[in-house]
Amino acid sequence: MSRDENPFGELLQDYVLECLPLAEQIADAFVELERQWRDGDPADDLLASLAGRLHTVKGNSAMMGLAPAQEVAHALEDACGLLRRSPERRTDASASLLVAGGELLADLVRNAAPDLDPVPAASFVERVRRWMEAEVSLLPGTLPERRRADRRTGSDAAGSGKVDSVVRVDFRRLDAMLEVLGEGLIQHSALAEAYRGLVRQTGGCDELERLDQAVLALEKTLKRLESTLMDTRLLPISTVFGRFPRMVRDTAEGAGKRVRLVHSGGETPLDKAVLDRLSEPLLHLVSNAIVHGIESPDARRASGKPEEGTLRLDAAPMAGRVVIRLGDDGRGLDELAIRKKAEGLGHEVRSEDAIPLRSLIFLPGLSTADTVSALAGRGVGLDVVAGAIHALGGTIDVATERGKGTTFTLSLPVTLAIVRSLIVEIDHERFAVPLAHVAETVRVEPETIREINHRGVTQWRGDLIHVADGGAMLGTAADRIEPRRFYVVMAAGGRRRGLLVDRLVGHQDVVVKGLDPTLGRPDVVSGTTILGDGRVACIVDAVRILEGGRRAG
Amino acid sequence: MRHSFLVIDDSKLHHQMYRLIFSRGSLAGSTVYFATNGKEGYGLLAAHPELTLVLLDLNMPEMNGLEVLERRRAEALHPHIPIVLVTTEGSVEDEARGRAAGAWEYLRKPFQPADVELLVSRAVAQSATTA
Amino acid sequence: MPAEELLGFTDTMEARSAAEAAPAPGPELHLLTFALDREEFGIPVTQVREVIRVADITRVPQAPAHVRGVANLRGRILAVVELRSRLGLAPAELTPRSRVVVVEVRGRVLGLLVDAVSQVTKVPQASVVPAPEEVVSGDAGYVTGVARWQSRLIILLDLEKALLPTE
Repeated sequence: MSRDENPFGELLQDYVLECLPLAEQIADAFVELERQWRDGDPADDLLASLAGRLHTVKGNSAMMGLAPAQEVAHALEDACGLLRRSPERRTDASASLLVAGGELLADLVRNAAPDLDPVPAASFVERVRRWMEAEVSLLPGTLPERRRADRRTGSDAAGSGKVDSVVRVDFRRLDAMLEVLGEGLIQHSALAEAYRGLVRQTGGCDELERLDQAVLALEKTLKRLESTLMDTRLLPISTVFGRFPRMVRDTAEGAGKRVRLVHSGGETPLDKAVLDRLSEPLLHLVSNAIVHGIESPDARRASGKPEEGTLRLDAAPMAGRVVIRLGDDGRGLDELAIRKKAEGLGHEVRSEDAIPLRSLIFLPGLSTADTVSALAGRGVGLDVVAGAIHALGGTIDVATERGKGTTFTLSLPVTLAIVRSLIVEIDHERFAVPLAHVAETVRVEPETIREINHRGVTQWRGDLIHVADGGAMLGTAADRIEPRRFYVVMAAGGRRRGLLVDRLVGHQDVVVKGLDPTLGRPDVVSGTTILGDGRVACIVDAVRILEGGRRAG
Repeated sequence: MRHSFLVIDDSKLHHQMYRLIFSRGSLAGSTVYFATNGKEGYGLLAAHPELTLVLLDLNMPEMNGLEVLERRRAEALHPHIPIVLVTTEGSVEDEARGRAAGAWEYLRKPFQPADVELLVSRAVAQSATTA
Repeated sequence: MPAEELLGFTDTMEARSAAEAAPAPGPELHLLTFALDREEFGIPVTQVREVIRVADITRVPQAPAHVRGVANLRGRILAVVELRSRLGLAPAELTPRSRVVVVEVRGRVLGLLVDAVSQVTKVPQASVVPAPEEVVSGDAGYVTGVARWQSRLIILLDLEKALLPTE
């Protein structure tokens, strides 16, 4: 067998699934070690607990032929061994080395591939080698003293016994299952429709009654299956919170601040799809809080605050949603400065009815500090964060007190009702058409749509189908001179119908939001959603359109 | 002749790897039992006297490979079944310790499928001569 | 038409106020006042959550005529009511002074599209003349009275009646 081809190459995903959580725990443990050593606690137990996991990552990486990860894990194993034997070497410098190694290892595992650049790993291994050989002179006071016995009873549950009742499932499989279920639900609709047709034709009978019961029961079962499947997608929010301690440490260090993170509610469950989209905006908020919110240790001391700033991250379920609060005890938002900046950007702020602060800071161009900071990303403003949260179907609000701090409150849906949609434009209005009901989109060729009995028809794949004007169906502009350029072939339960539109904007996963009762009961739209640009679009009810729909007006 | 094997390893990834190994080439068609810890592995060992070979990981929490070997020796359980101790450690002292506890052979990581095939054929040959 | 009755009533009040002395001090009403057509209206400030500029309002097909559409309020979908048409006036042209007043009425959060927001005003309770019976019980039942204050005539609205008439 050649060196190039690892016999277990096809198990790369399994490798990542098994080793990434381990690597992340290791990285987190190193950050914790650093903190404990700074507090004077030698943290013997924590150090000892790392050996097994480092060993596993090393062995697995070796088996998979992933040399960089293997070597870094090995170097960390050696370093930890030395630190266990020599408590006098548990210094800040050593901790930094470990933390760097932990990050590197996690990265190498996360991006595992046979052809990774070997340089970062090699250079880290070299650093460790030199560190291990370095002389340490024993100065009085360098020995970390043990505080009152605050023994850690084990920072992690994993590593001690596997619970075989838990399986790892690739998330894509869950998504695939939900898609199939979605098809099942559509098929059920067709079944129900056919049943209704039969009843109309035959006037009903006992057999049909039984059929009705069966179809109803099927729907109930499918819905139960749907909610069970949705539950499997729930993950504790700690999967997102988990990265934060390290990130806070790095960001604070880079910004010359001292910050500690206190978090709670990690067990609060959220749909993985929500979590995936939550992590980046949350990271930006945390980064902003550290870089712009929390003052420097000197400034804090001068105003009587503890030098170390505190960042609080809490999550809790609340009435079918999850509320996440991120608060800092920093300098608070400078309302005057923000209003001034908003004015400078052209927003009107002076009159009595002016936009309250809580809306102001989410306007584009605002809330990005004028100081350039690599750590705060490319100066990502709060408007981008707000946009991401809104796209999730969530809301974001802020409360601030000058000199005391700022708190952001996010409210998120537990799961996302997401519909894959085709976004179309009709008379400059945008609509979302669920892709499940789109058979095809067709460019209108001249002369292909004829009129029979005042209704448009066209040939589509050998069938004659009706074509309706999207503008008329959805009540957009009254007079229409230019012909529409495309039609969307909508399909459901055996029916096909074309819907004329001006533009095909693209595909998007849209989060469904309900219809406010104030809007009455429109039947051609089934809900609303917020598009990527922040504008609201209505979601077209395909089944109604196919049934002919009521003419808007 | 169909062989049966027992894998005792806390890494699910390794289970997958062994599955691959035991489904190809000369080992295709084998029966493989899997355990994720020493206690479970010991139980499976006791239940299957017909095993051709056991692959036992050294580094496991709670009951590691050495402890499994020592218990097996203390209870004289199926002494005829060859047990291979699998580990990344490589020192001569480690190997001696393993063998002293009753390991028939030592398999160092990283290993290739061919290494396992070789061990199996040696184990089969050995049992043929002692039978 | 409700609007005519309304305007007739306020014309009468305007004529009357010119001839009367200023009212005495006492308990006050805290109002947010806004302009619709030529008239000034007031609602209790306790019902007002905030005032926002008119951003994109998306039309909703088949919605009732007085609903202008929906807007994105920090992630929340806000229904925006065209108060002018609800009160029987012609729909507004949007101007830079147009605003949406976000109100909470009986637990529901809605936006009111108005021509301009004046200010938050305190008017003495004593300056309020209750609307005559025929105005209150008629189609314009959402008018509870008129406040005459500092040469202004502020028509007081009952938002519940104006926005949720059938509930």
